[in-house]
Amino acid sequence: MSKTQNNEKLEIRIDHIEDTLASVAAGDMDARINSEIEDDLSGIEAAIDLLIDDLTDELKQREKMQKEVEEKLSKIQEQQKTIVQQQEDLLELSSPVSKVWDNVLILPVIGTLDSQRTQIMMENLLEKIVETGCTIAILDITGVPTVDTQVANHLLKTVTSARLLGAECIISGISPAIAQTIVHLGIDLSSVKTKSTLQDAMIFAMKQNIRSENIKLQTLFDNPNENEE
Amino acid sequence: MSLVMLELTSEKNWEKLGKHILKFENDVVKLRQTIRHYAKQFRMGIVDQTRVTTAVSELFRNMYNYAGGGEVVIEKGIIEGKEALIITCIDSGPGIEDLELAMSDGYSTGMGMGYGLPGAKRLVDRFEIESKVNEGTIVRIMKWR
Repeated sequence: MSKTQNNEKLEIRIDHIEDTLASVAAGDMDARINSEIEDDLSGIEAAIDLLIDDLTDELKQREKMQKEVEEKLSKIQEQQKTIVQQQEDLLELSSPVSKVWDNVLILPVIGTLDSQRTQIMMENLLEKIVETGCTIAILDITGVPTVDTQVANHLLKTVTSARLLGAECIISGISPAIAQTIVHLGIDLSSVKTKSTLQDAMIFAMKQNIRSENIKLQTLFDNPNENEE
Repeated sequence: MSLVMLELTSEKNWEKLGKHILKFENDVVKLRQTIRHYAKQFRMGIVDQTRVTTAVSELFRNMYNYAGGGEVVIEKGIIEGKEALIITCIDSGPGIEDLELAMSDGYSTGMGMGYGLPGAKRLVDRFEIESKVNEGTIVRIMKWR
């Protein structure tokens, strides 16, 4: 074999290596040099093939990991959605207003009163007052662990707006600890009817009920007399 | 800025129990529960637990409403021979112009009742406040066991 022929062959092989590397770089991970000739260059060629193999493995692994991360991310996002949904559900759940007796509404408050919850609570209560025509609403705060000035303010506003609609509010379930705290804070709740337990509040509401019914009956009986005269 | 102020007011022999960031409205509730937990661990009675929790609730709400959040450091230490729970609220908000006015009953710049700061003061054993306009406010409350 002449030297020029040998050179030409080498050039072809080098071109082939270049081509292979170019296709690998372009993303074709199946491209290999696959030299069948055994000489000094073949070692380099085999090494390049091995490197390409390794690279392919690494890339595959990375893709796999990326997929896993994406899956986890979407899972987390879904959970986040559920949490937000539950929070919203909780907002509605936590302020039920129910009619427990003729003329008596009850609103058990549980947990913390932030501005958003109070808003919903107040709306629910006022709507129910208008809807049922009840004149007594009991706000039971047994389930409220902390009453700060904001909560007290919200409660006072609720009571005032209920009063504007013709309903009297009774706040029940103030614990001794909370009672002391309210006094120290300097909040004046004397304008609001308060009872220590829900039972006391119910009894008070019933008494009010009987009284107002008596008044109604009296006017009924009084009217015909007036006509006779 | 807050770091410098923190160094100014911290004492070496106090044991740091925790440091929290207050940023959102529900952090107020979360941190309040944390404080109640510490108060319970500190073997405070239910009344004192409620007092501390309510006092910090006022401070946290102020931080959230007026300064857009801040930092809360919880420590315990011995003050005048008494074991105390020390809670420090640090914010980088607008500061309080007239502290005397802010500490008086019924005064409020916002929509509140105006009993927050003076009320909190009455609920704890010691109340310290430091405020610079446009720099921020530090409020520290202490409750003996």
